[in-house]
Amino acid sequence: MDVFELFISAIFVNNIVLAQYLGNCPYLGCSRDKGTAIGMGFAVVFVIIMATLCTWYMQHSVLVPFGLGYLQTIVFILVIAGLVQFVEMFLKKMVPPLYAALGIFLPLITTNCAVMGVAILVQREEYDLVTSLLYALAASFGFMLALVLMAGIRERLETCRVPRAMAGTPIALIMAGLMSLAFMAFKGMTS
Amino acid sequence: MVTISVLVLLGLGLLTAAILAAASRVFHVSEDPRVAAVLEALPGANCGGCGFAGCEGYAKAVVTDPSLPPNRCCAGGAATAAKVSELTGKAAAASEAMHSFRRCNKRQGNVGLRYTYQGIPSCAAVAALADGAEMCSYSCLGYGDCVSSCPFDALSIRDGLAVVDEAACTGCGKCAEVCPRHVLELVPSRARVAVTCATLDKLKAVTEVCGVGCIKCLRCVKACPAKAVQLENGRIQIDHEKCLAHGDSCGQACVASCARKALCSLRPVLLEPLAKAEEKTA
Amino acid sequence: MQQLVREFTKGLWAELPPFRLVLGLCPTLAVTKTADNGLGMGLAVVFVLALSNVLISTVRHIIPKEVRIVCFIAISASLVVAVELLMQAYAYPLYQQLGIFVPLIVVNCVILGRAEAFAAKNGVLLSLADGLGMGLGFTMSLTFLGGLRELFGSGTLFGMPVMWEGFKPFTIMVEAPGAFICLGLILAGMNALGAWQARRKKQAVPAVSSGCACCGGCQSCEGRK
Repeated sequence: MDVFELFISAIFVNNIVLAQYLGNCPYLGCSRDKGTAIGMGFAVVFVIIMATLCTWYMQHSVLVPFGLGYLQTIVFILVIAGLVQFVEMFLKKMVPPLYAALGIFLPLITTNCAVMGVAILVQREEYDLVTSLLYALAASFGFMLALVLMAGIRERLETCRVPRAMAGTPIALIMAGLMSLAFMAFKGMTS
Repeated sequence: MVTISVLVLLGLGLLTAAILAAASRVFHVSEDPRVAAVLEALPGANCGGCGFAGCEGYAKAVVTDPSLPPNRCCAGGAATAAKVSELTGKAAAASEAMHSFRRCNKRQGNVGLRYTYQGIPSCAAVAALADGAEMCSYSCLGYGDCVSSCPFDALSIRDGLAVVDEAACTGCGKCAEVCPRHVLELVPSRARVAVTCATLDKLKAVTEVCGVGCIKCLRCVKACPAKAVQLENGRIQIDHEKCLAHGDSCGQACVASCARKALCSLRPVLLEPLAKAEEKTA
Repeated sequence: MQQLVREFTKGLWAELPPFRLVLGLCPTLAVTKTADNGLGMGLAVVFVLALSNVLISTVRHIIPKEVRIVCFIAISASLVVAVELLMQAYAYPLYQQLGIFVPLIVVNCVILGRAEAFAAKNGVLLSLADGLGMGLGFTMSLTFLGGLRELFGSGTLFGMPVMWEGFKPFTIMVEAPGAFICLGLILAGMNALGAWQARRKKQAVPAVSSGCACCGGCQSCEGRK
């Protein structure tokens, strides 16, 4: 039941982009059509899980034993950047179809607040490894859900008469606000 | 304290650098440098006129596939074809320049409205609602789906009709794909005549709604000495290759034979080639 | 001298992040529950941005092109750690309020964006002016948005009650939806203002903000073209 609650909480109640404000930049940038949105979503799931895994080990085997908690920011970002670079090279050589599908999104995700945010969040909540990974999976699925929903709405917006000043980012932000309002309805689900 | 943090960071940095350096050797993917060179030569409009998803798709294909001609890029034209053929070592055959043509003259034909449409300002949406707002079910709707699909800004809407800017049009065919009524068609830039109607209806069904619609009387088909005008899939289609091969000696008989003005002349008729005319007068 | 002034002032209006230059949206939305927090975050960003610009500009000729993004990240990360520690020491309540967004300054698009677009190509003094200008612009925007949200969302400004008795605050403003909607309306306002200015000067109306919004994707943006 705990796992179920964790999942519901991470995907709906505390959606990382709509309730925790993480990952807004790619959220607005890659939500123009469903294809890009799904590609970006899967790339984010992939990267967040691996980043959480690596940074968790970094924290518990290097930073904590040496008492270097204050270096968390630098170490995490360097590990994430290096990891994404490595994964890109690996995919390009070993799994070209996957690289063709997700490859272009990988550099975008390196410095994405969502990845770094989740990595730091699981440390602050002091989750163990398994819970951290489950949380990472759930949170990134929440991101993908919000992204795909937004892409669907924006595709419809293409044929609507939007006031010129609102076209593009402003209307997308207002849509995000309304979606966030809708997701707030889940607030009572977990205690 | 300071030494430990410096050493840890240094160690981490060196380790990451070593892993990445090793990875870049192990996972090295050798790419044909010609692909990058061809990509540079292409205009980068990603219009899809070549039949590939984007310029990169065509660049890769033209380098790796020996049978793919180097002149597929309609946006770049002859100049790009020459560059690509130089880079890939393939001979560039001259390709026919095409441009988009609108098969509808609803204003001339006084086509009326079936209903006033108020909804999503898109041709696809109007066409889906009871066969469109115009009395003719095959006319140009004028809501501009073609305008937004054109990567070269060659289309505009004037008086409810799509207007093609022939200078800007590269013949990529995106508008023809997008038009829900198939009113836009690619014709060669050298074409002499064209059909200005896209209706699939015949006889009275056409005369009731439009003054210049094609009634499928087939007079043009009979008038053409080159058999270039045929009824295909319910519409009159011109085989421009045959028409151009035959030349001007027919005096554009098809246009003259049409009682409905459903065929138009795109070029003036040259009844006798200039050289012959000079001979005669001399 | 004039160029210095120009670089400094462009960050204060013409290229105001995040309202004109759509960068750094995450902290903008997250920390602007109150004007205080907005101001605090803004000042932290000024510190990091100015110093990061100066440092990057100093070493720009030695960094090889392939690893430049990683180097920029390393430099700004060190500065962020410094800011974190300073905040923990001297402004602990603010540090607690800002929470996870203090370490996330390192992935703030403004910092990487300016490093890539400006500091890597210009001299030290110019980069400093640019960093200070952008940082101050960012601070002003954040304080403005924070002030707006706090005013309508809790009826206070910088912690002091300013609305009349019996004012029922729009609590939605201090929650997530209010942040998105407020920012959307402000951006729409900036677009409308830009269009009005262009019409007055009889210039072509600029394309509405396309939202370059790709955190640190500066590399891929260049490559995409």
